[in-house]
Amino acid sequence: MIDLNQLIEQANELAPLPASTVRLAQLASDPECHLDDVAELIAFDQALSVKLLRAANSAASASVTPVGTVSEAVTRMGTARVLALAVACGARPLLQACLPAYGLNEGALWRHSVAAAVAAETAPSFCDADLPLEGFTTAILHDVGKLVMGRFLSPEILGYIRRAQEVDHLGQLEAESLLLSVHHGELGGLIAQHWQLPPRIVQGIIYHHNPEEGLDAICDFTYLANQVAKRIEAGLDGRKFDLAIEPGVMERLGLTQSKLDNLCPIAAQRYHQVSRRYNAV
Amino acid sequence: MTTVDFDYVRHYVRDQAAIVLEPGKEYLVESRLQTLARKENIASIDELVRQLRASPQNGLHRKVVDAMTTNETSFFRDLHPFETLKKSILPELMARRGQERKLNFWCGAASTGQETFSVLMTIAEHFPELLKWDFKYIATDLCKEVLARAQAGRFSQLEVNRGLPAALLVKHFTRQGTDWEFTESLRQRVDFREMNLVKDWPLLPPLDLVFLRNVLIYFDVDTKKVILGKIRRLLRPGGYLLLGGAETTFGVDDAFERVVLDKTTCYRVKQA
Repeated sequence: MIDLNQLIEQANELAPLPASTVRLAQLASDPECHLDDVAELIAFDQALSVKLLRAANSAASASVTPVGTVSEAVTRMGTARVLALAVACGARPLLQACLPAYGLNEGALWRHSVAAAVAAETAPSFCDADLPLEGFTTAILHDVGKLVMGRFLSPEILGYIRRAQEVDHLGQLEAESLLLSVHHGELGGLIAQHWQLPPRIVQGIIYHHNPEEGLDAICDFTYLANQVAKRIEAGLDGRKFDLAIEPGVMERLGLTQSKLDNLCPIAAQRYHQVSRRYNAV
Repeated sequence: MTTVDFDYVRHYVRDQAAIVLEPGKEYLVESRLQTLARKENIASIDELVRQLRASPQNGLHRKVVDAMTTNETSFFRDLHPFETLKKSILPELMARRGQERKLNFWCGAASTGQETFSVLMTIAEHFPELLKWDFKYIATDLCKEVLARAQAGRFSQLEVNRGLPAALLVKHFTRQGTDWEFTESLRQRVDFREMNLVKDWPLLPPLDLVFLRNVLIYFDVDTKKVILGKIRRLLRPGGYLLLGGAETTFGVDDAFERVVLDKTTCYRVKQA
């Protein structure tokens, strides 16, 4: 149906992330990494430095003292958020793509990624479990596999997927796996490996729909961010979206239904703020 | 695909491999045959079925059965059976057979080898002395093509991403271009054989452990009964059968008893 090797080749042929982002990802996954090293690296990337200072001085960073140097900005935001920002800048042009196979017009995938990132930023104060900081980056990239998968989903294949969903009541992911022997999460993982991102980020992307198989809190965190992002987007379109989080995920994240009910409107509000500021919508 | 063609294919696949394809599964048959037709340079599914009918039992028939076989697998699939293997089953079997130092394992639907190699890695990591025993691991599958891949032990990055911990990847695999190759010394411990579970079985030794996970779900009750009956006769006293999470011997062959070890349900032949 689809040549799996071709799919893998395409995943490996996506434009690379900027060298500074790759280096930053390596630094971020090094437990010995020092903030000075991160700041020094970013200082060489003018565009990223400007974006970092802007983010560090934004309302979301909640400080009255303005940040004037890259070093201060890194200290205020932390390595994980800086990496997420760098990845978002690097991947934005790709994530703006129009993906008709998934019903996504130009910019829709990017908006969803931003909504997931905002959900990931908001979630830690509602969860009792310690959430992995890499989750901010996985939230942005969780659907990156759709970029490659979307190119291969001909109307014929989409027809089969639709029938698998209707006849056997399969979800999108299960139908992709049954008919194509791969799903967009796995392809996203391959892309993240191609971009030399740390293994934990790869893991979070692969298992963002089936976190119980991922055996790592990053998978639960990315799954939650994706689900909350869908709720935010549904709200924007005036649609009703029944946000049902797997009970196992709720338990592992230390999240109760009432906390989840509180998380969603706050994440939605922050998404509006971010959208206005960065013109994401 | 016409109803007549669909019926022809599903009856043929049922006769040859006991795989049940109910009406409604046309989408699955079409999608799999579409791929096969392209590979074989056949213009359409209609033409492919016409060729099947025109010349019974040519190589194409075999390829159709292979195409309809689901080869979904991953390293350490479901994880807990491998934890149970490590914590309970292997220590118990090794204690039981310690005198004779002989154990025989069989995987009845080995596919591309991930389950078999996961077991071997578990042994190599935690019970390396077992590799010095008279230890046989037989891995069989209906599909020639996947068996050849298992024998080669080569996996794409996509495949190793499915369940294989990084530490084991580094230790037991070597990079070959964009692929990863499973270490030869462990691969050579496996006796790979072609075998159709619903036809006559080749000679198998008495078995201590049988893996038949996520296989019975594709068969009807009568076929399950026949297969479980054969396994029952091959299992040595105290030997274990491991099935998939959605499978059971209950109500199919009640000569088996259910044994829950940690999070894993295993089956053993009831002792008189």
